[in-house]
Amino acid sequence: MTDEFEPRIVAFLCKWCSSAGSDLAGVSRMEYPSNVLPITVMCSGSVSPLYIFSAFNKGADGVLVSGCHPGDCHYLKGNYYARRRIALVKKLLEFIGLEPQRFQMSWVSAAEGKKYTQVIKDFVKEIKPLGPQTKLRRNQ
Amino acid sequence: MVKVEDIKKEAKRILKEGKVKYIIGYKKSTNGLMSVPAFIESPEDVENLIWDPTCVYNLTRFLVDEKRRKAREKNPDERPVGIVVKGCDSRAIIVLLQEKFINRENIYVLGISCETTGVLDEKKLLKKLNGKKAEKVEYDEKDNFIITTLDGKSKVPADEILAERCLECRANFPVINDILFGEKVDRKLDNRFKSLEKIESLSKEKRWGFWKEQLDKCIRCYACRSVCPMCYCDECVVDTINFAVTADTTAEEKAQRIKWVEKSPTTSENFVYHFVRAIHLAGRCIDCGECERVCPMDIPLRFLNKKMEKEAKELFDYDAGFDPDQPSLVSCFKDEDPEDFIR
Ligand code: SF4
Ligand code: SF4
Ligand code: FES
Repeated sequence: MTDEFEPRIVAFLCKWCSSAGSDLAGVSRMEYPSNVLPITVMCSGSVSPLYIFSAFNKGADGVLVSGCHPGDCHYLKGNYYARRRIALVKKLLEFIGLEPQRFQMSWVSAAEGKKYTQVIKDFVKEIKPLGPQTKLRRNQ
Repeated sequence: MVKVEDIKKEAKRILKEGKVKYIIGYKKSTNGLMSVPAFIESPEDVENLIWDPTCVYNLTRFLVDEKRRKAREKNPDERPVGIVVKGCDSRAIIVLLQEKFINRENIYVLGISCETTGVLDEKKLLKKLNGKKAEKVEYDEKDNFIITTLDGKSKVPADEILAERCLECRANFPVINDILFGEKVDRKLDNRFKSLEKIESLSKEKRWGFWKEQLDKCIRCYACRSVCPMCYCDECVVDTINFAVTADTTAEEKAQRIKWVEKSPTTSENFVYHFVRAIHLAGRCIDCGECERVCPMDIPLRFLNKKMEKEAKELFDYDAGFDPDQPSLVSCFKDEDPEDFIR
């Protein structure tokens, strides 16, 4: 029996937009892969780079940070800060040789249930061929 | 090279006049070639001060200690501390000022321009001399170092034994000072990221191989953290106990505390530590190269910081250590910050 590899994606979703967007996808019964472990955060700007490193450390195959579109952040500026910080984290992870596909960011509003499912579908599709993330994982 | 006599003269004056409580500078070591930090408290001790290519240390780290010490004193001496800085060190002062960790009136800056040279890389020198002991290294003002060993003098082109950071130094003169020694000499530097780009140009798997091999060596002695003037946090996330434990803290509470990183020096944990370090220093590291110098395992730590420096420059046009009034890299943004990586 050969099981197909199912990546585990840790998704940090901001409470006001992306998390609501994922709820919308759920209540509208849209279909999308069940590979995501969602973690609701108050704002994309509250995602410490350490959360991201830690997720990979604990075995995530991919990590997503998703927040409100620019201009729509509940705290006005959080997603602009996040955009800067995440750009640096992304560059750092790529620099040490992690596959760039494994770490992504998206803007998903509360009304974009559809977009949320698309982001997840694409994410899963892109990292499936990479196999499990073993570089940064603990105790392998 | 700047003459030490000039520095001594000023040091004597400010100590005599009681302008500063003490001066942090360099003195000769009792063991070997490289200088050591000196804390000069009286005009008589000023004679100990030296200035030569072995003055590598970034002394601004001692400002962190000074602040802590002062906070504990009942009636602290409010006079400023005199500190000898090179170009790179002076940028550390700018960052500490920018972050309001120190105040301008707490320091009296004796800035020294490196002019046409810089400081030594001790490891490179040892290699060059094949284990022979150097007694003295002087600069001949013509891009050479004159090295005196037991066998006599020899001449070595400066860039063969200069510290890596000096070869890529973008401002070899103090950007902040109360008194400046030497002249501001613009050295031509075509690419300050040259050594970094060698690693960047490797393939993804080669890069991973490189970093895995390097960071696997880390024994987590935290010397790199101890020496860094920007690593001044009272508690560090990588330490197991990074919350106050009081008499009321229950075992249950302690057990539930988040342990972000294991202490054991294994690949995965070492990477978290070094990621955290690199990110926390992004936009703050001024490339004094001290972390790399003190690492007992010879890990090229500078590249991790340099990478962040380069991205800060390229993505956000941000340069650390020049303007104490600019907001820090990650506490500001521009509307036009890149977002092509976002879906
Ligand atoms: S990095 Fe620049 S300022 Fe610092 S010692 Fe070298 S040449 Fe001087
Ligand atoms: S100084 Fe070197 S060995 Fe020590 S913690 Fe830093 S990188 Fe690791
Ligand atoms: S609240 Fe959604 S990004 Fe700030």
